[in-house]
Amino acid sequence: MIENVGAIKNGVMARSKGAEEKLFDALERFPALSLYIKFAFKAFQRQLAYKFEYFVGVVNGLIFIFIFTSLWKNIFSNSQATESVGFTTSGIVSYAVFAMIIRISMSQDDLGVMGKIRTGAIAMDMIKPFNFFGVTLAENVGGTMFHWFTRAAPILAVCLIFFDVSLPRHPVNYLLLAVTWILGYLIYFMVNWLFAMLAFWVIETFSFQLMKYGMFTLFSGGIIPLDFFPDFIRPAVAYIPFMYILYVPTASFIGHISPAEALGFIAFQGVWVATLGLASVVVWRAAQKKLIIQGG
Amino acid sequence: MREELRIYLTLVIASIRARMEYKASFLFLFFALLVYYLAQVGVIVIVLTKFGSIAGWTLGEMAFLYGLMVFSQGVTTVMFGSLNEFEGQIISGDFDRLLVRPLSPLLQILSSGFEISTVAHLFIGTTALYFGSKSSGVEWTLLKGLYLPVVIGGAVLIQGGLRLGVAAVCFWTIRNRSLVHMLVYSSKEMIFYPISIYHWGMQLLLTIAFPLAFINYYPSHYFLSREGADLLFHPFIQYLTPMVGAAVFALAYLLWRLGISRYQSAGN
Repeated sequence: MIENVGAIKNGVMARSKGAEEKLFDALERFPALSLYIKFAFKAFQRQLAYKFEYFVGVVNGLIFIFIFTSLWKNIFSNSQATESVGFTTSGIVSYAVFAMIIRISMSQDDLGVMGKIRTGAIAMDMIKPFNFFGVTLAENVGGTMFHWFTRAAPILAVCLIFFDVSLPRHPVNYLLLAVTWILGYLIYFMVNWLFAMLAFWVIETFSFQLMKYGMFTLFSGGIIPLDFFPDFIRPAVAYIPFMYILYVPTASFIGHISPAEALGFIAFQGVWVATLGLASVVVWRAAQKKLIIQGG
Repeated sequence: MREELRIYLTLVIASIRARMEYKASFLFLFFALLVYYLAQVGVIVIVLTKFGSIAGWTLGEMAFLYGLMVFSQGVTTVMFGSLNEFEGQIISGDFDRLLVRPLSPLLQILSSGFEISTVAHLFIGTTALYFGSKSSGVEWTLLKGLYLPVVIGGAVLIQGGLRLGVAAVCFWTIRNRSLVHMLVYSSKEMIFYPISIYHWGMQLLLTIAFPLAFINYYPSHYFLSREGADLLFHPFIQYLTPMVGAAVFALAYLLWRLGISRYQSAGN
């Protein structure tokens, strides 16, 4: 029985390897891009190795969705104040579900770069003939593609069956999701990148990670939509990058904000991508000058 | 037994002193932990300012619920914190070393785990309990004052037993990182909120099969003098935390003994 499973797995591996090689051959015609796509592909495959982790990841996602859909359903069935908040019960439930799915879709390996800086392994990446920022982004995109197929999609399927949510019908919503998700993901990646760069200057980076994670939890919209923040905090939240990571894609996708409003948010996302991109390059340059490897 | 206790305490103090070695880094981490937990609390506070109450629990009552959980978690990490890293000791073979020493292996593991997060937990837990009981008008009687440490003891046994049981799984599977993540960390998020917001099936699960509700939800009913209209069971359940704690811990300890007796080193 066990041998059978092994044989089937080997068969699948052999077949997918063939496909992979074909893809790489085709990519050889575009040398500039092919390198980064290969890195993304490798990261995708690496993820496949951790099966139990994967299972737990899916269950964790479902636990969180269960908690917050229960919470909103309870509040919206008891409270009189719910008419003024801009969400219906089914609206807030789909917000909770899709915000969590989008959050799960974004792969987060921010410890990788940090570890490389701490151990000095980053020196090896710096002497290689490619752009380290680009390679790191490619690897994260690979991990993220893996998360879309293997975590976000099954969780979505379970939610569509058990949580009383439905997908929007209009193609515009999917287009808006694609654009806002990509921009949101870039913001997410670069915020993580900048925090990882701190490791060049300080040794104890765990504390900064904790603070980043706390702010992300509260302000990204992954749990509470921006609309529920008290009036005096809301404008401030709009001026930090976190809400553009999850709130904007989720609210655009479920149609909580109109396409016109979404376009306004997309413009802001663009500004953030440009700002953070510039900051990432500047900090990376400064870090390279700062770098001292402690032994080898 | 007394000698064992003395060695245990000496080892605990040694591990605390090791963590206090770098004071600046210690303080900064403490601050970062406060920010992290404030964000967690912030979620609940924002929901409450917007909607008034959650399943009939007001801000003060929610603070008490949260405080009971976080405080008992702080005590749990002092005593059982290192169990979450137990996988590492099994993989590296370090655990074998503990087996040949003249002190129970469990006590040796338990004495090495002081974490800074413990201080943050106790601090936030105390603040939340204080604010919560003030704001929801808890009338502290002698009985309530005496019963609070007993409840916390029971809650610590539930959480410690859970960690011990999950660690014991390593004797069979060597690895348990994912299981720790799911059963120790993620599951706890369920009891940030009164469990009456969940489907009754889940309430049953959190009461009988995986009794996290006894850490804070049921005992809070007693301290806050809640009517208990939202309870699925007879109101007497609010007094059962110490018994449930003892039962959970006993079961976990049995599993641990069973695991040790059939343990074969992974080699090194």
